[in-house]
Amino acid sequence: MSRNYIKELLKPFRESKLFEGLSKWLAPSSGGSAGVVRGRENEVPAGRAGSAAYSTGVRRVTLIPGHGIGPEITVAVQKIFEAAKVPIEWDEVDVTAVRGPDGKFGIPQKAIDSVNTNKIGLKGPLMTPVGKGYRSLNLALRKEFDLYANVRPCKSLDGIKTLYDDVDVVTIRENTEGEYSGIEHEIVDGVVQSIKLITEEASKRVAEFAFQFATENNRKKVTAVHKANIMRMSDGLFLRCCRDVATKYPDIKFEERYLDTVCLNMVQDPSKFDVLVMPNLYGDIMSDMCSGLVGGLGLTPSGNIGKNGALFESVHGTAPDIAGKDLANPTALLLSAIMMLRHLQLNEHADRVQNACYEVLREGKALTGDLGGTGKCSDYTNAVISKLN
Amino acid sequence: MAVRLFSKLKVLPEFRNVSFASSAAAPATLSDFDLQHKTPVIRKQKLIPKAHYGGRHAVTMLPGGGIGPECMGYVRDIFKYIGAPVDFEVVDIDPTMDNDDDVQYAITTIKRNGVGLKGNIETKSEAAYVTSRNVALRNELDMYAYILNCKSFPGVPTRHKDIDVVIIRQNTEGEYAMLEHESVNGVIESMKVVTASNSERVARFAFEFAKRNGRKKVTTVHKANIMKLSDGLFLETSRRMAKEYPDIEHNDMIIDNCCMQLVAKPHQFDVMLMTNLYGSIVSNVVCGLLGGAGLLSGRNYGDHYAVFEPGTRNTGTAIAGKNIANPVAMINASIDMLEHLGHFFHADLLKRAVYKTINEDRILTPDVGGTATSTEVVNAIIGNIGL
Amino acid sequence: MSLIGRNIVRALMQGSQHVSKGVHTSAVNADQNVCFAPAGISTLQPNATKEGRIKCTLIPGDGVGPEMVYSVQEVFKAANIPVDFESFFFSEVNPTLSAPLEDVVNSIARNKICIKGILATPDFSHTGELQTLNMKLRNALDLYANVVHVKSLPNVKCRHNDVDCIIIREQTEGEYSALEHESVPGVVECLKIITAAKSERIAKFAFDYAVKMGRKKVTAVHKANIMKLGDGLFLRSCEEMAKLYPRIQFEKMIVDNCTMQMVSNPNQFDVMVTPNLYGNIVDNLASGLVGGAGVVAGASYSPECAVFEQGARHIFSGAVGKNIANPTAMLLCSANLLAHVNLHSYSKMIKNAINKVLTDGKVRTKDLGGQSTTKDFTYAVIQSLA
Repeated sequence: MSRNYIKELLKPFRESKLFEGLSKWLAPSSGGSAGVVRGRENEVPAGRAGSAAYSTGVRRVTLIPGHGIGPEITVAVQKIFEAAKVPIEWDEVDVTAVRGPDGKFGIPQKAIDSVNTNKIGLKGPLMTPVGKGYRSLNLALRKEFDLYANVRPCKSLDGIKTLYDDVDVVTIRENTEGEYSGIEHEIVDGVVQSIKLITEEASKRVAEFAFQFATENNRKKVTAVHKANIMRMSDGLFLRCCRDVATKYPDIKFEERYLDTVCLNMVQDPSKFDVLVMPNLYGDIMSDMCSGLVGGLGLTPSGNIGKNGALFESVHGTAPDIAGKDLANPTALLLSAIMMLRHLQLNEHADRVQNACYEVLREGKALTGDLGGTGKCSDYTNAVISKLN
Repeated sequence: MAVRLFSKLKVLPEFRNVSFASSAAAPATLSDFDLQHKTPVIRKQKLIPKAHYGGRHAVTMLPGGGIGPECMGYVRDIFKYIGAPVDFEVVDIDPTMDNDDDVQYAITTIKRNGVGLKGNIETKSEAAYVTSRNVALRNELDMYAYILNCKSFPGVPTRHKDIDVVIIRQNTEGEYAMLEHESVNGVIESMKVVTASNSERVARFAFEFAKRNGRKKVTTVHKANIMKLSDGLFLETSRRMAKEYPDIEHNDMIIDNCCMQLVAKPHQFDVMLMTNLYGSIVSNVVCGLLGGAGLLSGRNYGDHYAVFEPGTRNTGTAIAGKNIANPVAMINASIDMLEHLGHFFHADLLKRAVYKTINEDRILTPDVGGTATSTEVVNAIIGNIGL
Repeated sequence: MSLIGRNIVRALMQGSQHVSKGVHTSAVNADQNVCFAPAGISTLQPNATKEGRIKCTLIPGDGVGPEMVYSVQEVFKAANIPVDFESFFFSEVNPTLSAPLEDVVNSIARNKICIKGILATPDFSHTGELQTLNMKLRNALDLYANVVHVKSLPNVKCRHNDVDCIIIREQTEGEYSALEHESVPGVVECLKIITAAKSERIAKFAFDYAVKMGRKKVTAVHKANIMKLGDGLFLRSCEEMAKLYPRIQFEKMIVDNCTMQMVSNPNQFDVMVTPNLYGNIVDNLASGLVGGAGVVAGASYSPECAVFEQGARHIFSGAVGKNIANPTAMLLCSANLLAHVNLHSYSKMIKNAINKVLTDGKVRTKDLGGQSTTKDFTYAVIQSLA
């Protein structure tokens, strides 16, 4: 496939240049794709959202420690990064909801400003009070930075025993619309109508992203997950967009699967799937399910890619019951931070930290309680640090 | 009670000041009685979806005490045999318990199933604050009407033949209001409560019942010559209601006279309407006329729930476990229940089998002059099903 | 494919006619045996005929449906089960041949029971209609509750053992309301409707089912943290209903967490109640855990009728005509159907036979790692009927 051809097709998309940041997350040693990225970097050096512009110097990253166990695990990550001498300067902000001028609860302006300047962030778990007119903070952050795609690689880790081996699936989820559009109203008493919004623009965007991601990470296949047999228009539109985009990537195999079929097959034989692309709700469910296959949310990194920046996060809960007891597992946040390093093109640092982390997991000596170990969060952190060299 | 009052005040803030003013003038405390009757709780029912799935109904079964459990066992055997589309949820109530947890749970299950089949529940506790569980059940579920269908069984030897009387009884108030107190030492007052709304409901029910079932006459039984206000209200209400049903004859009769007439000339009665205590008396009299406690079945109806039980409310503890209890009453109650649920096919099947067993084969337990054991009767009924 | 499907149906119809003729020659004694079956069962049913036979609507469906249904019919014939089928060819992919919806609905409403293969739902309707045939059937009969009992089968090797959960799914509203429109070109709005009445109804169903089956716990699956109004209403209804069942434990779980728990620790679940779409996901997921679409039976209930169908609905079009699909799910459905109409001993007979065949492990279809055909399996079951 000629590079020019891709370039032509991707012109609007490339203005943000964000896919390049993603290119290196999961394929650190793939020479071919690295070459491609370098080539592009020369063409548009400064355009990438929150990426390599400062890759030589110290990079400021917004850090949102979050609630519950959030502060502990962010401290763990900070320690490890410090020990690994990663050139990152943390800009810590608090996003606890405050009442804005309109009377609604929302993210403090300071946090928004910080992310807008830094264009990149790392975030611990956030707690949203159920009900009572609170908007989900996660949702608000997503809207604020237009983080349209959520990427979650789920890969079986050595040393973590689960019933499923060789899982290597990447879920890519449309993040801004669909069922989570947030448009709901009670038409009459006792009848609620929620609107699932599917737009051509957003569907195309995420489909492009998925195929681009697959190309750059040497993935073979993209599966569009949908339910167009029931939701004929909305999911139909999503599916059409995927089909359209697929024609531009003849090297990547494209297939369509019903959501329920994917669920059924995933638990029977996860190796059938490679990259999955899907609308919001399905993505939410599938990504968590895939995490379950490899050992839970405590081991799964997650990245949100948007036009205005990228936000890496650990997606597990705030676990208030073990907060402050030095029992939490920082792996997910650490892996997310590694994804972030790759996004910032700090690949050497990323490899180093990642190897150390995998090594610790493989040895299984300092594992935290959720992984069946007896170690504390600080033991784990120290173990990773000791493996760094 | 007080909580209820205050919550009411909160609901109506515009009256709050007024209420406070009046309460300042009124005696410092209101009795429970005052609260209950001056601020009646409006019985707002949030409708719960009925347990009816794939043509099958869920029904609460309260075996109760005495012969209840064995009779329920027979009913379940028979239902299994005929394949009645009913799933029983059995709730056992421990009669010796002082707290009402089991009863409350039983009430909850009836609320969500909509229908119950019950034996007689014992209240063994002597504590004054423990109310009769049967009464609690009826009051809580607001089952204001009780129907006892009294029809002679040709196979049971009795003095009077071909009696066909329907007794409809107010079930939730009257003498059974359970408001008693010792006002001065040695003087006990027991309240009898008659309300217009409940009298109207049960009167309406009686006339509707008569109309739907092609009955000709409704007789109101009362004691308004003595209790001029309470029974007077009841009588007045039924007279007013009678005007709305010109096709149905209406007369009234004083309770003592009524009992005499029943044993002498029972055929003059058709549908009988009465308050709670009189209902208890009359239904036992009629049961006696037809051959004892073991044959008839009664039905409790509220606006939302229905509970079916044997006609006379005796636990029969003395004969429990001896295999001589008459299972027919409970089986009849279960037939009523099947009809209520709309399973006419199975109801008819069972009804014919019971009729044949009692009236043609004459397989009867000792209480109605037979020699058969309970299980023999049940087996005979099962044997007659489908023939 | 539709052509193949049609031909198969025809072939089956002819086949069944021939066989039923054969049976009729010796019918006299057989019927008597049925009426006074030694096990003391009776077929006294409102929809039974004079000879005590029960009528049941049969929809073979698309894909491998007809093969599965044929297997059921074979077993019924062999076991001499007093059930007569009223068969309808009903299909969305082949609208010209399909029986009209009203006929099918009337038949089910009359018979009160139905056994149904899977109906394929094409992505695009020729008429531009948004409702699928499945939805129409459900709405017409008000089949609001779908029950899938996911249970590990003996000797079916899976990653998880001893899975035993019941998934109850609302299937008449929610995401499947088929209300969609394109407000401006390129922007589609799809309405998800949640009503208090239907949420309460399904919650009540779930709890009643739990009571009936002697279960301990009901888990409501929702996404009320995001869809605060819609799923919030569903959740509130469940909570409200839970108060009526003080002896059943109630818990709630967010759907994404639920799927994750399902793949890592499925034994924690007992009865689950879900809105429409989540139910579909959890159903299929759970089916995958115990051996796939071929072994999980399900049923849909309205107040009056019960439709028995496979738990995970896949037409498995790749296997059509190849005689390789696993009929276990459909046979289990038929056993559940027999239990529903009070033919418990026949129901047990079929279930025991299936268990025996699976335990022996000699005859396995492809999805369970064997090489046997659908027919082999069916005959193995027939051989094992006691």
